[in-house]
Amino acid sequence: MVHMTQREALEWIANLFEVSPQELTPDTLRGDISAWDSLGVLTLLAGLDSDFGIVLSDDDVASIKGVDDVLGIMRRNGKLS
Amino acid sequence: MALVKTSGARLAGICSCVPTMRFDNRTDSIEFSDEEIRKVTGMAGVAARRMAGESVCSSDLCTVAAQRILGRLGWEPDSIDALIMVTQTPDYFLPSTACVVHHRLGLADHCAAFDVGLGCSGYPYGIWLAAMMLQGGGVRRALVLHGETPTRFSDKSDRSVSLLFGDAGSATALESTDPRRTSDWYYALHSDGSGYNSMIIESGGFRDRFGTDPRKHCVNMNGALIFNFTIKRVPALIDETLTGAGVTSSDVDYFIFHQSNQFIMKHLCAKQSLPPEKVPIILKEFGNTGGASIPLTLTQGNLVRPEERALRLMLLGYGVGLSWASALVSLDREAILESVELDNTKQVSA
Repeated sequence: MVHMTQREALEWIANLFEVSPQELTPDTLRGDISAWDSLGVLTLLAGLDSDFGIVLSDDDVASIKGVDDVLGIMRRNGKLS
Repeated sequence: MALVKTSGARLAGICSCVPTMRFDNRTDSIEFSDEEIRKVTGMAGVAARRMAGESVCSSDLCTVAAQRILGRLGWEPDSIDALIMVTQTPDYFLPSTACVVHHRLGLADHCAAFDVGLGCSGYPYGIWLAAMMLQGGGVRRALVLHGETPTRFSDKSDRSVSLLFGDAGSATALESTDPRRTSDWYYALHSDGSGYNSMIIESGGFRDRFGTDPRKHCVNMNGALIFNFTIKRVPALIDETLTGAGVTSSDVDYFIFHQSNQFIMKHLCAKQSLPPEKVPIILKEFGNTGGASIPLTLTQGNLVRPEERALRLMLLGYGVGLSWASALVSLDREAILESVELDNTKQVSA
């Protein structure tokens, strides 16, 4: 998996946290998704690494507050159109 | 540091020691809901742990392990030329725990004894130091003791650590041998102090000796940063070690990881395409016992040992510091692997 549309990326995030894609928009915050707790962060980091080969900087890890930040990371790494 | 090579050392025996007190995360936890316990233990892969309680220290566990392995090998105490104690849970700020254990084991005054203050990465470092001493001459037999009692610095209300950690000690006996009789050993040793506060006990040391916040006397772990560090550094560590030693992963019988967390370990294995049968995981019964988890896995991981040749093992430590290290070593057919338990109701006398 190397390149996604925003819709596909939202589905990927939704699948990661086991929520419906309809529940997610770029404005969705971490606190809005119960599975996106401290363990959910590990799931997200592992998913970015295994599915896209993206390993984040520590600053990136600390800066993720919601879906839009994840989309931004994917975009910066050339995985999102 | 570039990859380091040593020659002329052999592992004569390894013994681990855990306390008898067993804590079942599912039935003995009262701090968390069933759902939280299910979630954390499912991800970490820790069903139960051994706990030192208030009376047992790393030195006690290591002393028992050392006594057992010295007895099994028939090594007299005065034949030990060096004792390296790797721990971040020492008995005292001073003296060094190595000196305390030196006394308990009845070692001679010609024996060098010192502590190494490393945690999760400490075992490969300890083996490297001992092998360097053996290679250098003068030291014929060495003991590397690695013990940790992380349950004693865990905040019981912090689910990120309190359901994860277990306690263990170990003793590894090494001796010099004809370099032609054993393979060369390889090590990669790394540090990144910029992450010193990713896992830290803030109070109790001389930076904040008598801090009044009890939580600061317990470990604070930023799980996300530690995980991020791990997926960034450990795959490169494995590749560096294989390349430097001129071997491939198929030449290695077992990759003995620091038992950090099942989720992390499985991710690393998938990323490196390591077959699960080459990566023993003992988290289920013992939890994360810090760097002592490597010798604990060597003795509890049910390693299959061929009759006709030595095992080739890659030991991988990574975590607090931040510090990470590997050791590619051999374990010959004669080497003894042993485990023992320490009854928590008794403390080894000083």
